[in-house]
Amino acid sequence: MLLLQVLINGLLLGGLYGIMALGMSLIWGVMNIVNVAHGALIMLGAYLTFWMFYLWGLDPFVSLPLTIASLFVYGYCLQRWVLNLVVRAQLFLTLLITFGVEVVMINVARLLWSSDLRQVAPSYAAANFEVGELTIPWVRLWVFATTLVLSLVFLVVLEHTRLGRAIRATSEELRAARLTGIPVAHIYAVTFGLGAALAGAAGGLWGMLFPITPVMGGSLTLKSFVVAVLGGLGTMLGAIVGGLVLGLAESFTATYLGPTYPNAISFGLLVLILILRPTGILGRKT
Amino acid sequence: MNVRRWVMPVVAVAALVVIAAAPGLLSPFMVQFVINLFMLAILAESWNIIGGFAGYASFGNVAFFGLGAYTTGILITKAGWTLAMALAAAAVVPMLFAALVGLPILRLKGHYFAIATLGVAETMREVVYNVEVTGAGTGLVMPIARTPALFFYLMLAILVAVTLVNAWLAHSRFGYGLVAIREDEDAAAAMGIDTTRYKTIAFAISGAFAGITGGVFAYWITFIDPDAVFRVIVTIQMIIMAVFGGAGTVAGPLLGALVLASVSELLSTQLVALAELFNGLIVILVVLFMPKGLLEVVKAGRGSFRVMARNLREYRV
Repeated sequence: MLLLQVLINGLLLGGLYGIMALGMSLIWGVMNIVNVAHGALIMLGAYLTFWMFYLWGLDPFVSLPLTIASLFVYGYCLQRWVLNLVVRAQLFLTLLITFGVEVVMINVARLLWSSDLRQVAPSYAAANFEVGELTIPWVRLWVFATTLVLSLVFLVVLEHTRLGRAIRATSEELRAARLTGIPVAHIYAVTFGLGAALAGAAGGLWGMLFPITPVMGGSLTLKSFVVAVLGGLGTMLGAIVGGLVLGLAESFTATYLGPTYPNAISFGLLVLILILRPTGILGRKT
Repeated sequence: MNVRRWVMPVVAVAALVVIAAAPGLLSPFMVQFVINLFMLAILAESWNIIGGFAGYASFGNVAFFGLGAYTTGILITKAGWTLAMALAAAAVVPMLFAALVGLPILRLKGHYFAIATLGVAETMREVVYNVEVTGAGTGLVMPIARTPALFFYLMLAILVAVTLVNAWLAHSRFGYGLVAIREDEDAAAAMGIDTTRYKTIAFAISGAFAGITGGVFAYWITFIDPDAVFRVIVTIQMIIMAVFGGAGTVAGPLLGALVLASVSELLSTQLVALAELFNGLIVILVVLFMPKGLLEVVKAGRGSFRVMARNLREYRV
């Protein structure tokens, strides 16, 4: 029974990793930017949710659309007026500039909101229900359901709308996309906005399960990266599957080895996947 | 050209003599500042070997710094080694470690390499947190040595050594090999450069310098814990100082360290978060306006604004 419990815990957490990685994978796949500030965007989403809960008493699930919209606008502006200026430079420079963005965001957060641990704790935070011998926290289940809905909406947008086609076309061939009249700078900004929105959603949900601080993003960036690689870069479904795999791996190692090596585990998984299957679980051979 | 050949070394030696007299002349506060400045300059120059010359942007060199700090700390407090022996070990252990992890991860390229090095540093921190011999989360307390001059000269000596290594790279077969790898690794391999060996050696040298500096740092600061010596911000500082001054050049990282450490120091007397915020802003501005470093812009003289404007336009979409 313990085995099943561990399995469920892992899957429920894995959904969150999934949407984090979805945002990272999108930005990486379309613009070839590894967004080191991804964790900082998650942090921003978490704090927005926290403040709306703390100041206005807004339920985190209710405020989620607001968080998502704010992060979309923020991401759009960041890409449109900053990152678009270097997007075609060598990898090192785009990596470095998002590194700079991350440092700025973290320290602005430290100055504004201090480094205290905070948590979004609605009244139902501790409620569980039991199935046989299994205990399932309601919050985790709802968080998981929300991540699934968001992923689904996102996949539909990307696969079946005009906007999604424009994004995929830009991703495949920048010049050809421009020739067909796609406003490339705008599409890049929308893409980054969508990635940021997913990160923000993940942050808002994360704050209900774990304490938040300005520096929470560092290890989440690493995890998002690992999951994106794990599932297969550029495959959106792969990011979700990768998220579930990481959630399971963490849940099992935490139960059987102790909870002290969370980053070492994601890093170990990364090295393993790079050696064994460089294209990722669902990736295609190029 | 002939004049410049001997002018530079003479100026350098004269400057060294002046600097060497400094601990007696400066206030204790200034001596501490200069020690810190030397340390950052060493780290920037050591990063430059792998990140600047070989073009492998390591985002985890703080792992070697921390490993050196802990090697020294453990050998002095638990094994009773002398400082000199412990410092030698603080260079050798990270060097071997760098060669060992370098063999697999230097096969990765671009983003994968960057994140893998980040992962190495994070993993090191977690391991140190969980092992008995390092004092785990509580850290290690070192014997107190109240002789700032000792640290001043140690850091200065290492700085001279690492600068000489960089100068040698700029004019040697080995250095040209690294630059060839940076410019086009496949072409370098086709020309007969043993790329794996070159990259691994560069990584190991880089690690050795970061390690011994960590060792001196540990003894200077007298207390180390995982969060103090494996801080990601230290890696960021190495990178931006090198890139700010001009990565892949000899003088660039020195210049970057001098400018940025000074401003950073001024700001951290106000608030640490403010100093880090400044670091982040500098990264963004440097990437936008002078990705090839301050040296390129300064060399342009009156045309420097034009150079910056061109840099800004060059890679936009």
